[in-house]
Amino acid sequence: MIPPEYLFLLDLAGTFAPYIIITLSLNLEYGYGGIPNFGKALAVACGAFVAGFFPGRLAAELLNLGAGFDPMRYIRENSIVVTEINRVLASDALFGAGLLTLTLILAIVIGALLGLVVFYSFVKLRAEFLAMVLLAAAEVLLLIGYNYPPLVGGTLGVSLPDPFIWAGEYRFVAVTIFLLIMAVAVFLYVHKLMKSPLGRLLKAVRDDENAALAFGKDVTKIRMKAFVTSSAIASLGGALYAFYTGSVIAIAYNRVSWTFWPWVMVILGGAANNVGVVLGTFTFVAVRKLIIRYKYQLSPFLPFDVVWLDMLLLGIALLFILLYRPEGLIPEKPVRTLSLEKLMKYVGPKPARKAGIPISVERVKSILKKGGRGLS
Amino acid sequence: MVIDPIYGDALVFASLLTLLSLGLTLTFLTTKVPNFAHGSFATVGMYVTLTFSKVYGISPYIGSSLAFVFGALTALTQYIAILRPLTRRGASIITLMVATIAFDFILLASLNIYADYLTRVLEIKARYFNLRIEDFILFNVRGLLLVAPFLVLVVAITLHLCLTKTKFGVAMRAAIENPSLAGTLGINVDLVYQVSWILAGGLAGLAGGLMPLWFIGNPDTGSFLLISIFAASVAGGFYSIYGGFVGGYVVGLAEVLGTNFLAKTVGPWIIPYRPVIPLMAMAIVLMVFPQGITGLLSGVKWSMRLKEIVKRWSSH
Repeated sequence: MIPPEYLFLLDLAGTFAPYIIITLSLNLEYGYGGIPNFGKALAVACGAFVAGFFPGRLAAELLNLGAGFDPMRYIRENSIVVTEINRVLASDALFGAGLLTLTLILAIVIGALLGLVVFYSFVKLRAEFLAMVLLAAAEVLLLIGYNYPPLVGGTLGVSLPDPFIWAGEYRFVAVTIFLLIMAVAVFLYVHKLMKSPLGRLLKAVRDDENAALAFGKDVTKIRMKAFVTSSAIASLGGALYAFYTGSVIAIAYNRVSWTFWPWVMVILGGAANNVGVVLGTFTFVAVRKLIIRYKYQLSPFLPFDVVWLDMLLLGIALLFILLYRPEGLIPEKPVRTLSLEKLMKYVGPKPARKAGIPISVERVKSILKKGGRGLS
Repeated sequence: MVIDPIYGDALVFASLLTLLSLGLTLTFLTTKVPNFAHGSFATVGMYVTLTFSKVYGISPYIGSSLAFVFGALTALTQYIAILRPLTRRGASIITLMVATIAFDFILLASLNIYADYLTRVLEIKARYFNLRIEDFILFNVRGLLLVAPFLVLVVAITLHLCLTKTKFGVAMRAAIENPSLAGTLGINVDLVYQVSWILAGGLAGLAGGLMPLWFIGNPDTGSFLLISIFAASVAGGFYSIYGGFVGGYVVGLAEVLGTNFLAKTVGPWIIPYRPVIPLMAMAIVLMVFPQGITGLLSGVKWSMRLKEIVKRWSSH
């Protein structure tokens, strides 16, 4: 058995990992791209709904359980069917892994497509209108999930097949480790992406759209890339969270949990700084988990539900950060371009001589001093 | 003659929505930030009415004038304590929007705490409550059906007279049009902004205070209404005060009557999708006018456009 102390840490890590993925995606579009996505819950719910809809039905169909692609029958017989599937998955880890991989890929693809559609519908809107429309769009997806049972069981929700059930009592350890690995992968991907020319261009567009336009950059296209990538990542995060909890219920994907909290985490950590965002997410999740852990000790002394105290403190904390430390825990760092040594490799005396151009170290230095003009 | 009660619902909802969207438009015009806490101002008003009605036995109609005061104070607090310092530090519009969301968190949490307090300590039903029995009946109709549209009319006339006939109203319009120029002419722009926040919060509190007379109130009613309020403001042209009136009625009536119509023709399963209607209204308006509907509803252009239309019609 896992001792309860570790269980707390495990729960902390298991909640932290999906949130990391989502806050990194928000950082990509808001921190680097300046897109005010107040509908983050849209992409997250999309991923979770894919996880709630797809793998169970596919597995039921493959195992000839009969309920598979019948819209309502799978939902009605959900618990029986999922128990049957899990019995198979318990002995066949490979089948589970295949199911998981396929679902995650599907979540990424559908998340990206949703992002593309949403982006091109509202691309021309100014920041404040975009924020409102995205907020409302997320609300609509939630509404559909809640009122259209064939999707994810409506008000009652739906259980998922558990691809980690082979681990038995260490199921939570297995799923948490998997989530952490995915979170690290997403971190490395986003970090690399934002250090690439694309990341720098994104920042340039955020800081001065007209300047980027004047340099001949396609501003809409770069924003589209950021938005779609971010949607795909957030959708992956939503699907992973669904596998972690083992069930999907539409009402859980509301704007407070999956839009506003990620915003708080990003702002707390420091927008456009991935390390800061990870730190901010960790701080936020840890504080919330501690409040929940100790709320039962506190509740006899209060004439109200402690959940609200939690929300009140978060609101106040967010305002204080905005007022007194708007740059977050770890502020954005200036973009590091190539070092002089590396630059020499491309335009220094050696390659220049090879190309037949007379150039010296001093000349490169003087060009750099002038701000890089005349370098090419 | 029996009139379908849905028309009463629609009229009351649209009237209250108009009061709400008008306030949102006012604060957007001055501070240039869409206020995500605006819906909760209404909830504040709702609980003020509830408290005065249940604890002190005051009629909700008097209670809602107190709700005006509380709503106004809440909005003024938000402006002075949060938005003004942030604006002075050069915060971006996104930061300001996040700040209004943070303030909404605080309001929502406080309202829930207060509702729990009312329930547990004072033993008043403070969740999913209504005050329908407190309403008066006149000519066989419930009072709010007469009061709400009348109130909108009064507000419209007062606001119009204020903005066109009084010195402060003219100063207000100047401050909205061009704050820095108005400032150099000696207009106290900050005071104008404060007044607009007081009006916005007050009208929202008033609308919220009257709401339990007809609808069911809960701590999150306001934040559920938020999308409808935004839609009404956007549909009315986010940059026009008078547009707020039009938008409120168009979206409010469309939301209630449209859902009712669709439920009868398509099927009752469509009823839960009611919030989609204001969203569609907002999305369509924004897709057609992506930069906002600046000047579309301003007097000059419309009168010119009307003349054009009349000319075209008469030549046929």
